[in-house]
This record gives sequence, structure tokens and C-alpha cells, in this order.
Amino acid sequence: MKKFSGTEPKAQHKGASDGATAVQERETTKLVGQSIPRVDAIDKVLGKTQYPGDLSRPDMVFMKVLLARRPHARIKKIDSSATLATPGVMAVFTASDVPCNEYGLIEPDQPVLCGDVVRYIGDKVALVIAQNEHAAIIGRERLVVDYEDLPAITDPRRALDSSALILHAAKKTNLLAQRRIRKGNIESGFTKADVIVESEYVTPHQEHAYLQPEAGLAYLDEQGRVVIETAAQWSHDDRHQIAHALGLPQDQVRVIYTYGGGAFGGKEDVSIQIVLALAAWKLRKPVKLIWDRDESIIGHHKRHPYIIKAKWGATRDGKLTAIQMDLLSDAGAYASSSREVLNNATAMCTGPYECENVWVDSRAVYTNNPTCGAFRGFGAPQVEFAAEMQMNKLAEALDMDSVELRKKNLWRNGSIQATGAPVPEPVGVIKVLEAAARAAAWPVKKSSSKRLETKKRGFGVACGFKNVGYGFGFDEKCTVTLELHGRSEIEKVVVRAGASDAGQGAHTILTQFVADALDVPLEKIQLVTGDTSEADPVGSCSASRLAFMLGQAVRGAAELAKEKWRTQSERPVKATYRFKPRPTTPLDPETGRGDPAISYCYAAQIAEVEVDTATGQVTVLKLISAHDVGKAVNPQQLIGQIEGGAAQGLGWATVEHFVMKDGFVMTPNFTLYLIPTVLDVPEIMNTVVLEDPDPQGPQGARGVGEMGLIPAAPALVAAVHDATGVWFDQLPLTPERVLKGLQSVP
Amino acid sequence: MRNFEHITPPDLESAVDLLSERGTKSIAGGTDLLPEMKSRLRSPRRLVNLKALEELRYLKHNARKGFQIGALTTLAEIESNELIREKIPILAQAASVAASPQLRNMGTIGGNLCQSVRCWYYRAPEFKCWLKGGDTCYAIEGENKFHAILESSPCCAVHPSDLAPALMALGASVHITGTDEEGTVSLEEFFVRPKASNRQMTILGANELITEVQVPMLDGDSSGIYLKAMDRKVWAFALVSVAVQVSWDKERVKGARIVLGGVAPIPWRVPAAEEIVRDQAITEEIATSASEAALEGAQPLRDNGYKIALAKALVKRALMTLAERAKK
Repeated sequence: MKKFSGTEPKAQHKGASDGATAVQERETTKLVGQSIPRVDAIDKVLGKTQYPGDLSRPDMVFMKVLLARRPHARIKKIDSSATLATPGVMAVFTASDVPCNEYGLIEPDQPVLCGDVVRYIGDKVALVIAQNEHAAIIGRERLVVDYEDLPAITDPRRALDSSALILHAAKKTNLLAQRRIRKGNIESGFTKADVIVESEYVTPHQEHAYLQPEAGLAYLDEQGRVVIETAAQWSHDDRHQIAHALGLPQDQVRVIYTYGGGAFGGKEDVSIQIVLALAAWKLRKPVKLIWDRDESIIGHHKRHPYIIKAKWGATRDGKLTAIQMDLLSDAGAYASSSREVLNNATAMCTGPYECENVWVDSRAVYTNNPTCGAFRGFGAPQVEFAAEMQMNKLAEALDMDSVELRKKNLWRNGSIQATGAPVPEPVGVIKVLEAAARAAAWPVKKSSSKRLETKKRGFGVACGFKNVGYGFGFDEKCTVTLELHGRSEIEKVVVRAGASDAGQGAHTILTQFVADALDVPLEKIQLVTGDTSEADPVGSCSASRLAFMLGQAVRGAAELAKEKWRTQSERPVKATYRFKPRPTTPLDPETGRGDPAISYCYAAQIAEVEVDTATGQVTVLKLISAHDVGKAVNPQQLIGQIEGGAAQGLGWATVEHFVMKDGFVMTPNFTLYLIPTVLDVPEIMNTVVLEDPDPQGPQGARGVGEMGLIPAAPALVAAVHDATGVWFDQLPLTPERVLKGLQSVP
Repeated sequence: MRNFEHITPPDLESAVDLLSERGTKSIAGGTDLLPEMKSRLRSPRRLVNLKALEELRYLKHNARKGFQIGALTTLAEIESNELIREKIPILAQAASVAASPQLRNMGTIGGNLCQSVRCWYYRAPEFKCWLKGGDTCYAIEGENKFHAILESSPCCAVHPSDLAPALMALGASVHITGTDEEGTVSLEEFFVRPKASNRQMTILGANELITEVQVPMLDGDSSGIYLKAMDRKVWAFALVSVAVQVSWDKERVKGARIVLGGVAPIPWRVPAAEEIVRDQAITEEIATSASEAALEGAQPLRDNGYKIALAKALVKRALMTLAERAKK
């Protein structure tokens, strides 16, 4: 197994303009494994790159969306006469203008425009299109909607009460999904336990807070197709949902992605795409829309808050005997991907630990809070926070080192998951924990700050894992077409792969794979990624899957293309390959048995914090992350992904407090919803990368996009406990919470 | 935001005259007003642009009058001014932790003292709260972790300024110019608790402007400190802040002014705490009892009880830090 430390590629990269390798031991002829500069970097730093908000077309008009801004109400009447009389206003569209008024990533339970009922503040009610943006805003102000407010369910714990109003009448219940795991005998597991730790954890909503709010431009092309230019995470699925709502065949809809300014799962659901398409289709004119920050925060889905009851038992010598978990997820008003997030949460809530007796009950419920969906980690951060907290509490209860306790229980080759399936091998979680512990010189002795005796320091550790790809029986595939142009020599390679690059570097990785697979230099490679009418469907940019799937699809397509190039005279050569990873299965509804994941990636993190016990402020001084990535395709990007993920995880754990009250978002802007600044992330981020090849991944690569975020919160909370002696079971650890917690100890 | 007329008056007198008309607001840095206009909290028909009034952009200091700071002086200028850093560093400190560098480049000292509260109910168009002319302060029964622990009725928002507590600790005054009259008032008089007849935190009339901030000469041996606790390291409003300015007779306190931010609708001076440290050498015991006295009578709401502990900690830390420095 090869290994390098996170600081190396960075230092190397400074002098890497001559193409020097990031890691010295690598061979130099291959690009995979090298920190080549981003293929999109030059245009971005020159300001040439067009993001969705930059797009324009001659005679385009502007749209504004009227959001409900009330959590639950019946629409009695919409009066648009004053709007239509506003100078510059061209049209108002409401529910009756939508051919098939429904959409949703998995299940179409969300109206494009609400006709009868609004179920959360971000529900769309009407569209105002005008000659200019200002007129659209004025026109929107003049819309008069007569609402009858309904009681709102805003506490997920009350959503299943018999008195609770049903949000979706056709469903007859607010229970959106439930899962179970029944493995072994939970009672005998607890009987065998010498120590039992029981806690309730509360994890909050999280806002994606991407740089670029939702925006786009829609128009009709010369063939009469409706084109939507925007940037999100899954162009082909957007096309599917747009076509469904507009009642059009898919080939009448074209989605074109520009580069995006961040996504983190927040652009996996459709936000503005359908309404833009609808307006352009109806008006036969280019229509542009840019959401303000508060529209973005109110209008797109959030990370699910989870309430997690955990009861874990272990023997005196530290072997887990029983894990019982009860998960309650606030799905918000619509399904989005709540079921799939619940799948993940259910399968992963035991942490990467062996335990013979597991009992899990999990539910996702509809409420009148903002809809929740994909967010980096997809259910794993919430449940693994609980799992890692339980392990750290067990270590305390057993008076055992928390790394040692983990090593007694962590998965290894041959381990069986809670769902009964073997863990896909090789299983690298013990190695990452050992690597992190080594880098931190664990166990670390506390040294209190000399400056002020109220400042206490502490260290904490957590492990994490995340599945690569969708899993749970989803028919996952990734298709790539390669076109080889030239006669005797390959002069140009056109890569047709509908891969979204949200800023993480997917296109650079794709280019590296193609260059190596065909042995062509980067300059000959031309990517066609944005346009659904030109690029093959690769699936979403999410689930830590894109590099993994693209790499394998490119490998297959390149083999076919090379074969044709050798054996056929026809030019250009064109080869399409559809990669399908090994099949997975859904969880059995009663027992939870199943083989949920193609593969897993692993990480361990150790945080050092300083807690000002007088003011409740927590400072993260240092974060060590060790990751098994299988293969570092582009080490510099990889470190960026890991450190960025860690910063987002620390943000979730400390400063990001999404406050809801009675269905209203109290924090709809960045003055109130704080995200970490550079001063809030640790001065020292030491990333250790292990490369234990995954036989399923391209050149051994696993996924990495989500992993950096997952252990950060439990590592931080463990460090705060080490510093103060207090466990914090609710995130985030704002000064308010910390001071309240500390007041309960002498 | 709605359309508005933008007028640049030739001089202060015309500016004040223009302000007498209904629907008119003055604009300097615009860092508070423009977001309010974008979110429709205010929709003035006319803006009177003060930025061109060069006569309000100055920073003077002399041994008799102390500092005279023109209202258009930006926070960035205050933060970096050598004389301020040397003679009244507490003000430079307060300016340096306010907002972000971009906002400090635009925001003015006059505007900073007149800014609106950051209460999330006040800022949300969905809630017509008492301060906006409604009947209810939603925060009293609602989400109130950022709200007042002292004087929480009829509005429990807190004054967000970092400069105001520091200036009040320095004994500063503001010069106000209106259509008919002008005069100078201390900051204690300038900031008032909102009431039904005046739903704002200052006495400033619609057609009046702050034209100058005056900081009197300090005693020969004087030192000050501004401490601010935030939810993140920078670029946030104070959860609680404290400004302490002490005049010394060697290591003994001759007099002190202690002002809290983030705890009341206005910057909150705490004479009871000042009394405790007067004529004392500051020990941990004295600092502790001053911090207790400072929060005497605090009445927390559901979520903001932590502010009591936080404010006490900051008062104590400020006093102890000043005492240590005085020993050196």
C-alpha cells in the first residue's frame, strides 16, 4: 500500500508547472496520480467562465418566482390583475399553466406551482415574467394571494400524532418512509453487556451555502426544443423531470450545464429548471432567472435534521454486544430523496463496527418545514455522529482508550454488515484509524493554554465511512462515448459524458482518465459534458461516485475505441461503453437484510480544540484526517476535497445554526446563517492519504467527495469533551449551547 | 428595491432641508440602508446623498477638545488612524472587529450609531413586529438567543453597534444638526429605549443628522479595552461585547466607564459596576463583584440566559486585562 501525506502534493505543486509528479514514487508517464492543474482553471481565473447568472441572449426577459413564505395554507384565490397591469410585465403563470403539475427526484409529490395548498415557505405559487427584472419584482409584489392558513406541523415528533393534519391527503399518513434492521437477538445482546450507553442526539438542518445561487436561462433552439442552461448535479435527470412536467417527450428538452459555483447535494433536486422551461416554452422567448440568496436558502432543500436515540452495549473488555438505534428524520414538505437518505442512515447507523445484535427503527416524516434532501454525506453524517459519540462514550464508561476500543470492533476483511452482507473488501478502516493516530501521536496528552486558565484544550477521535454510488438496488450506470479523430494518429478525442463539475474538479479527473486510457496528451482531449443532447448520461455528480464511475466507463470505452481504431478504417472512431457496477439490493422491509453498497470509503479524523470555558467559544486548532482513497487520481484536488469537506463538517458542528420557528426560517441570509471563515477552520489541517486499491474502482480509486465531512463533528465534540468533561449531544456547539452545557458541571 | 430619487445636495444645510420632506432618507455608506431597502423594510422615495459633503469628512485632535470626528469618517479610517490607535485604542479595536473589511470601507461612524437592529423578526418581511409598527415583539415568546437580557420590553432587540459601547465608555457626544436647531448630546442621551411614540433606538429626528462625534480628552493615565464575543471568529454581530475605559492613579482606579453591547436595545452603561472598581486596585475579587453588579437585574428570555455568564466573563476579563497592563 502506498501512502503520502497531505502536505507533500501541495509543496510539490508549486514547482509542478513542468509536469513534475506530485508523489515522487509514481511513474511519470501517466497522468492519473498527478496533480495536474484544473482543466477549467485558466478560464476561471481570467473571468472567462460563464456561470449560470452570467448567461444572456438577445431579447431575453426576466422571471421572478412568488414563494409561499408561509408554512401551510390553502390558496383561496390568486389575483394577478394588478400585476398584469404593471408596465413591463408580460405574463403571470400559475398552477393551471403547468401541463403536468408535479415533480420530484424520486417521487413526483411536489407541485411545480401550488394550486390548492402550500406546504412550506419555499413552495412556488406563481411566476411573473417581465421585460426586465425590476418590473418582474414590482409585478410580483402586486400579486394578491388570498390564503387560509392551516395548522403547521413543524416538530417531526408530532408528525405522526393522530391529531396531526395530513400533508399529502392521498397518502393518508405523514410517514414518508420507514426501515428496520433486525439482526441477532437484541435482548441477549444487552444481557451480555457489562456497560450500556444510552443517549439522544439531535442534528440540525444544514444549508449548502454554495457561492452561486440558483440561476439559469431557458429558450427555444433552432429545432424548437426547449433549452435550459443552468448548473446543477444531474442534467439527464433534470431533463427527465422537466419533460414530465411540461408533458413533452424527452428529446424536446435540452439541459445544458455551465460550470457551477458549488452544489454539495443542494443542486441534485430540481429548483428553477422546470419553471424556467415552462416560461420559455409558453412565451417562446428566452427567459432568465436568478435567485437571491434568501430565495435560495428558502427555496432549495436542506440537510435532514435527525433525532437519534442510541443504546449501545459492550463487554468489559470492549466488544460491542448490542446496538439499538431509533432514527427520526424530518423530511420537510416533500419526498425529495428522503427515503434514500433514510436507507443510508439505516444501513450506516451502526458505524463501521461489528456487532451481532442490531435493532434499528427508522422513520422519515413529512412536516411543514423546508424540504430536505441530498447534502454531502447523504444521511451518513447524522447517524455516524451518533455512532461515534456512542463509541467515545463507551470508551469513557469502560475507561479504555477510544482508539483501542474502536480497533476491537472495527470492520476488517471478512466482517459482516448490520444488513447481513459481507463488507466489500479490502476494508481499510483500521488502517486509516492507525494512520490518524500515528500522525497525532495518539494518545495525546493535554496541555492547557498558558494564556488564560479558562481556555481548555482537548483531543478527540472519530472514524467514518461512506458508500460509493447509489446502492440499495438502484440500477446504477454510467455511459461514456469516445470519438477518436485523425487518420493514422489520434489527433483529437471527443469525450461525450454528461458529467457535472460543481467545482470539485470532475472534468479534470475525466480528462486524466481519458489521457491515460488512450495515451494521448491533454491538449488533444475535448470534453462534451454539458449538453444532454450531445453527451451520454453518466448519472449524478453526487454519492462520491463520479470519478469512480467515469473512470470505469472511460476504461471500457477506450478499450472498445482502441480496438476499432486498430481494426477499422472508418474515421472518426466512435465507441460507447456503459459501466454498471456490481449490483446491490434494497433492504428487506422487515429485517433490513440486504447488500446495500457497491463499495465503501473510509476516514478517521483527530481534532484538537481549545474551549474558552468563560465565553463558550470553541476553536479548532488542528485537524488530522486520514483517508483510504484507493488511488489518489489528482492528489491536489483530493486534498482540496478532503479539507473542504472537513471545513464544512466543522461548520455544521460549530457555527452553522439553521434556526426554524413554526415553519419559518429565521436565518435566510449569511448575516444570520453563519458559515466558517478562514479563521474558523483549523490553522493546521494535516491530511494523510492511504491508497489501498479497491478492485472495483478505476485503477483502484474509491470515492472521496463526501468523506471529509463525516467524522469532523464527532471528532470535534469528543475533543470538547476531553477539554471540558461535558458531552454535547446536540449540534451545533454555539457559545450559547456550550455555556449552557458547562453550567451543568461545577 | 423600489425606484427612488437620488439627490446630492451641495451643502449640509440643503441636505437637512431635503430631509424634512416625507419619504426621504439620508444615505452615507449605505451598508445598513441598502439591505433594508432591498428587503423592503424601508422604501424611501428619495435618498439624500451625504457622501459628497466633504465638510463632514475629517478627523481632528487637539489637547483641549480631544477628538472631533466628522460623521462621514469610515470605520476603516478609524481602525487605521494612528492618533486614534495611540490615544483611544479602544475605538480602533471596536472598529476593527465590526463587520468585514469591505463594510468597514463603506460604513461611516455616523451611520454606525444610527443603524437598525439585527433582530431576525425585525428583518423578516413576514413579521410585522412592534418595532416596525406592529403590536407584538415576536422574539419575547419566540426565538430569542440573540436578544436582550436587560430591558426587553416592548422590543427585545439589541443594539448591534460595536462603536457605540466603545464611544460611550470614552464619554463621547454627538453633534446633531437639524432644520431649526443644532446641539450636542452625550451618547447616554442620544440612545433611548424605544417607546410607542418613538419606535427607534435614538432621539434623532427624521430631518436631523449626526454631523460630528466628539471624544473628550482623557485623563493622563487612561486605558481601555473592547472585547466582543461572536458565534464565529470574525464577521458577526456581537453576542455580547464590553467596553471598559479606566483612568488610573498608578494601579488604582480613579474612575471607570463600563458599557455592555448586545444585552439591551441600547448600549448599556453599568454604573453599579463602575462604582465597585472606583478607588480600588483591581483584584480578581473586585473584578468578579463588578461583573456580578454589571448584570444585576438581568432577566433572560428562554434562550439567552447564556448571555449573563458571557457578559460577566467579558467584564471580568476586560478588567483583569487592564489591571495587568497597568502593572507593567
